[in-house]
Amino acid sequence: MTATDARTGRWARLSARQQAILATLLIVILAALVLPPFLFLIQGSLTIAGPTYDSVSFGLGNFEAVIRNRHFVTTSINSLIFAAASALVALVIGWVTAWIVERTNAPLKGLAYLTAIISLGTPYILYVTAWLLFFGKAGPVNHLYRTLTGSTDVLINIYSMPGMVLVEGFLWSPLAFLLVGATLRNANPELEEAARVHGAGVWDTIRRVTMRLSLPSILALSMLVFIRAIEAFEVPALVGLPGRVSVLTTDIYSNMVARAPPDIGGASALSVLMLGLVLVLLYVYGRLSRHAERFATITGKGFRPRPFDLGRLRGVAAGLLVLNFVLLLMVPMLMLVWVSLLPFFQPVTAAAFKLISLNNYRTVLASGQMELLVNTLLVAVATATVAITLTFLGAWLAVRRGPGGWIIERLATIPLVFPGLILGIAVMQVFLRIPIPLYGTLGILIWAFIINYLPYGMRYCSSGMLQIHRELEEAAAICGASALTRLRRIVAPLLAPALVAGWLFIFLMSARALSLAILLAGPRSQTMAVAMFDLWGNGQGTELAALGLMWSMLMAMIAVVFYAMARRSAAGALGRA
Amino acid sequence: MLRVEGLTKIFDNSTDQIAGGIRDASFTLEPGTFFTLLGPSGCGKTTTLRCIAGLETPDQGVIAVEGRTLFDTKMRVNVPVEQRSVGMVFQSYAIWPHMTVAENVAFPFTVSKQRRYSKAEIADGVRRALAIVDLDGFQERPATRLSGGQQQRVALARAVVHEPRLLLLDEPLSNLDAQLRDEMRSELKRLQSKIGITTVYVTHDQSEALALSDRIAVIDRGHITQIGSPQDIYFRPANPFVARFVGATNLLTGRLIGSANGKANVEVLAGRQIQCVVPQGIDDPASVAVSIRPESIRLVARAGGAAAAGENCLAGRVSAVTFLGASRRVDVVSDGVNLQVTTAADMPLPDDGEVLLIFAPERTVAVPGKVS
Repeated sequence: MTATDARTGRWARLSARQQAILATLLIVILAALVLPPFLFLIQGSLTIAGPTYDSVSFGLGNFEAVIRNRHFVTTSINSLIFAAASALVALVIGWVTAWIVERTNAPLKGLAYLTAIISLGTPYILYVTAWLLFFGKAGPVNHLYRTLTGSTDVLINIYSMPGMVLVEGFLWSPLAFLLVGATLRNANPELEEAARVHGAGVWDTIRRVTMRLSLPSILALSMLVFIRAIEAFEVPALVGLPGRVSVLTTDIYSNMVARAPPDIGGASALSVLMLGLVLVLLYVYGRLSRHAERFATITGKGFRPRPFDLGRLRGVAAGLLVLNFVLLLMVPMLMLVWVSLLPFFQPVTAAAFKLISLNNYRTVLASGQMELLVNTLLVAVATATVAITLTFLGAWLAVRRGPGGWIIERLATIPLVFPGLILGIAVMQVFLRIPIPLYGTLGILIWAFIINYLPYGMRYCSSGMLQIHRELEEAAAICGASALTRLRRIVAPLLAPALVAGWLFIFLMSARALSLAILLAGPRSQTMAVAMFDLWGNGQGTELAALGLMWSMLMAMIAVVFYAMARRSAAGALGRA
Repeated sequence: MLRVEGLTKIFDNSTDQIAGGIRDASFTLEPGTFFTLLGPSGCGKTTTLRCIAGLETPDQGVIAVEGRTLFDTKMRVNVPVEQRSVGMVFQSYAIWPHMTVAENVAFPFTVSKQRRYSKAEIADGVRRALAIVDLDGFQERPATRLSGGQQQRVALARAVVHEPRLLLLDEPLSNLDAQLRDEMRSELKRLQSKIGITTVYVTHDQSEALALSDRIAVIDRGHITQIGSPQDIYFRPANPFVARFVGATNLLTGRLIGSANGKANVEVLAGRQIQCVVPQGIDDPASVAVSIRPESIRLVARAGGAAAAGENCLAGRVSAVTFLGASRRVDVVSDGVNLQVTTAADMPLPDDGEVLLIFAPERTVAVPGKVS
């Protein structure tokens, strides 16, 4: 063996060992993050509290109690109805908007994007309160109805199942729009043109080709929104609880906060049941989305899609876009602006105009909300940075089939099954049992958030990774670069756009997350969304509006940057949000 | 049959300031003609085809099929795409993946506004169309389970099933591998002559154009620069672009000395005079290009060699020889200019490399324009 042979041999061994060390490290970290919440949640669900603190026993008693409860069936059915109906509302609004924007020559398309992008940055809790104020008993809709009819009744009772469905549907429609838009954009326009050339009119083409082709992806998408609505917390808590419509998540929440002491066993048992449900739904979603890709016929050539000429219907389409914009963006925002200027909530009347002042903004800015801001940004930045770093390395090993790659991929995608609230309960139990003093600090929030957003980071990093041809790395290896050098010099720079988009996405999502934070935030470790939830609960809606508006403006700017990055980096960049 | 007049459609491209599209295109086709729009990518050939189909709205011009005006800016006529009754094969074939082969092919029947077709009529039409492309029996096959060549045949069957007056083909062979491309090329030719349908074909491949077409229009940067039979285009190019784009050629810069009866005396290289044919008038005697195809030149050893009377003759030295199997490419430098010559693979070359290039005046074409 010559000297050079020995050297290259050593290089190869060292390079292989670098990968193995990295993989081991990642597997240990991910397992430590992802597995304990599972185990402790299951343990919690099997632990039956005795009359005294020490007298615990193990068994299926909690499950029995949950299922025996006469509300259980109603609650489950409510959950399913709520999720299915709001998915339908979101998909219908989203599909129509996306079709008009991507496939027709209607004007004012910018409005749809504006609506969607601003909604990416705004906490759901703020939207929900805005619509509650708008449709509420004293809101402008019912006020107008009473003024016109002289009735003392309400036109719309928002605190009901239809009200919940409407608000949840509104919340999800911007995202549905973005995702449907992506699939419509990726479809080959020649498929529609072929129908036109061979004699089909606009309506026939939509019905027989466009709709049929997007059906599988629409099905997958509605499954996704359905799962998210099953897991939803904001709307059930703010709209459902006052209206006495309970769903699974609010039942779990009530077990934890409405009782003293909290019924952790019952909440855990219900959580485990719900995990099972989500697991099944995710499996169905996986099947559906694989099916959806069968029809994805993107061709490499730069097509110039020809939009449908709507003729006289252009005005109608533009009207729908304006309606979408007004309903989903203008109404909530104007409502919040109005409320934020008042000392207490009032319908829009001449008398109310005299009360207008900036006092709420002064109060909010003076009352040490800086701590909230710092907390939230700290949590969001730390979560995004750690999650993206871990998944960057993980995706590299997984996509390049490095050692342990598939274990890493499984571990990083497991948290998908956790609804935010349930992950909160699980992480809480982890830190109640193990002697690491993170409970009640920002640390536990960051810990839980990282777990929650690992799958999203993985999605961004591996889809970006798949686009980097492995020969680019192999060329570096031929030049003598070790695994870590290749990672640093070749992969990281090429993956940068996907990494930045993923980072911003996780940042935005953690900055507005409520359900995950609500059970974990202590008095000194509140985040913006949790504080807003408390303000609403305390009847301080006017201050909430002032605080929320300022916060949303900041987040909307970041969302614009994110959208610009995501659009550039990859088609699937919006991923499974 | 098909009449296109003054067709103009310009795309403003804000990024690189080059406006794509087609300008002032005019041609008229006899029934049954196989007509090819030939040009490099981005020259406007696909735009022209899409304007005829009705997928683009031209800025100006007239399009008429069998006396029926489909589009006319002056008369404000614009028949919608679905009422033009044409057949079209797209570059990506555009076979709908959610339908079977039969459903794909039956589509023009099932959306027809003129009349309702019975199930039996549809099944019969589909069978006949599939038989033409040798795919009868594939009716129930899902469209996703077809090979590239089969997809292409299904697209063709779909395009002719309703017996359109005009068949439009947008680079249908460009997505196939080389062997399949040759096969489908002869298939296409056979089919077209069998059905006898007027066809407009778009391609950037000159050998496809020469092999398939009755008439060819060569397009350069949005302008039709020559329309003619394949032989016209090949042997009597109208300008240096056509000469260079269609087949390999040697282009020499020249100066017109004198011309009469379509023949001319042109001075090329370092003051050498040669005899040429002049298919078109030449306005500027100082701006002439001479095209000589490599296979039109004969090489003889300079020692003892001579040209016959009336033949052109240039002297040169062999600089490179490339063996190509059936033939051989010889590079000869004459007065500092490199000329390509195609010879038989076994033709002996003189040891000293000094040769005479001999070529007939009928195969030497003088065209107006500078060699670019």
